[in-house]
Amino acid sequence: MSATLRLISFLRAALRLMRGSPWLNAVSVLTIAASLSLCGLFAMAFFNAHTLIDELGSSLTIQVYLEPDTPEERIGQIEARLREHEGVKRVRALSSEADRERNRKLLDPALLEGLDDEAIPGQPVLALELDSSLASRGDLEALVHWAGQIEAVEAVEDVAFGAERLRLLFAVLEIIRSVGVVLSAVLLASALFFVFTTVRLAVWGRRREIEILSLMGATPNFIRAPFLLEGALQGLLGAVVAIVAVGLLHLELEGLVRDVYLLQVQPSLLPPGMVLWLLVGGPCLGVLASGLSLGRAFKV
Amino acid sequence: MIQLYNVSKRYGAEGASVTALDDVNMRVREGEMVFLTGPSGAGKSTLIRLLLCVERVSSGQVLIGGRNVHALRDESIPYLRRNFGVVFQDFRLIETRDVFDNVAIGMEILGLPRKDIVRRVGQLLEAIGLQERAHASPRDLSGGEAQRVAIARALVNEPAILLCDEPTGNLDPQLSREIIQLVCEVNRRGTTVVVATHDAALIEEFGARTLTLKGGRLVQDRDRADRGGDMLAGGLDLSRLDDPMAEIE
Repeated sequence: MSATLRLISFLRAALRLMRGSPWLNAVSVLTIAASLSLCGLFAMAFFNAHTLIDELGSSLTIQVYLEPDTPEERIGQIEARLREHEGVKRVRALSSEADRERNRKLLDPALLEGLDDEAIPGQPVLALELDSSLASRGDLEALVHWAGQIEAVEAVEDVAFGAERLRLLFAVLEIIRSVGVVLSAVLLASALFFVFTTVRLAVWGRRREIEILSLMGATPNFIRAPFLLEGALQGLLGAVVAIVAVGLLHLELEGLVRDVYLLQVQPSLLPPGMVLWLLVGGPCLGVLASGLSLGRAFKV
Repeated sequence: MIQLYNVSKRYGAEGASVTALDDVNMRVREGEMVFLTGPSGAGKSTLIRLLLCVERVSSGQVLIGGRNVHALRDESIPYLRRNFGVVFQDFRLIETRDVFDNVAIGMEILGLPRKDIVRRVGQLLEAIGLQERAHASPRDLSGGEAQRVAIARALVNEPAILLCDEPTGNLDPQLSREIIQLVCEVNRRGTTVVVATHDAALIEEFGARTLTLKGGRLVQDRDRADRGGDMLAGGLDLSRLDDPMAEIE
């Protein structure tokens, strides 16, 4: 018998096992689906939060405020020095007048009535546009460190950029990752337990059949194969259900992000690699649980 | 074919053990049919379990075809068992499989092609008169039918040795007689047969060599081959069976 025919024969036996205890199998599949859905959900949240950070990071500008009486020559020197730094895409210099004009536009005209121009703050500013995204917290900290160095330069009064906002996002990302890892681990363990129990019960229910097969000369692997395939099928079904569930949730989230949170972000579904991981991980989880359950159950 | 030398089997811890077989010596020749008899608890089933390597001897040696089977590694035991066909008192058919699939198990274990399985199982079912019930569930079979299916399952790979553990224990006298007739026919075709039974009437009727166990000891070895074959004129025809390996090879 060729390997393919043998596999088909084992598959038939595995399906017979599944038909033998449909409810138990359904519980196992749903538990695997729940745990893999949660894994997928956290992966999706993590993946999208990362994308958001990347987008925010790439649109980040650093405002370097100089002392009001900084001479043009000094401004030129600082600008040249900043331009040399890796990752700086563009440096735009604003004179005191231009900065004052910008601030004027930001303020309520009613407040400005009767005020001298000198009362509106204005100082030379160098606006830096960065060309790299912030892929990690390390990148952000490096940027903060550099900003600190700029602040120490003579004639620089203040350096401002959205570091706190990014720090908050990184913290959220960390929470998503930690909670995701813990909850996924708990659910994966429970899925493992359910498949383990299903297969153990199937083995117990079929101990006579196993004994007969063994007495007729079946090798332990011949007897184990259908049970392992049962676990693999449960895992595969669980993974498919999980991917569908995460996909449906993604569709719901798309509208929610735009309409409720008014974010101009297009949430991505799982990356293709992650979908593949779920499709491979589900059967692996099933086979692992079956294997653990079988253990040395089929001693000759 | 089967040789036992000073075979003992004890259960339980040293000092508090129960002796199931005690210093048994016996030999079954190739192609021979032997009844193994004795009261309940005499050690008949234990002996069969030792032959199948389900259990290990406490002392002594069991030789099958000249090989000391209890010196075999665990991985080799399934291959040893493929030399045996086994029939039990309670039939032990697999209820999730139909009659055909029950008989086919042995060939599936060997990984034989489906077309050979279909042909061979078809022949066997015809030989035992159950070709019409090929797709029946074992639950729907009578005791006699179930035991015939069990015998067909045991014979599907033409084993060298057929071991029957109380094969008529659940059957009425007429069905018991038919089953033993079938077993005798299998033996007539060259298979070595060991039938464990405590049915003295059957042994008397079929008259083959009889080994009597009592309290784990072999107390009698009565060879009555002169009467063998008297009762073989049953209505079952196994003559049309092919060697399952012939076409495959």
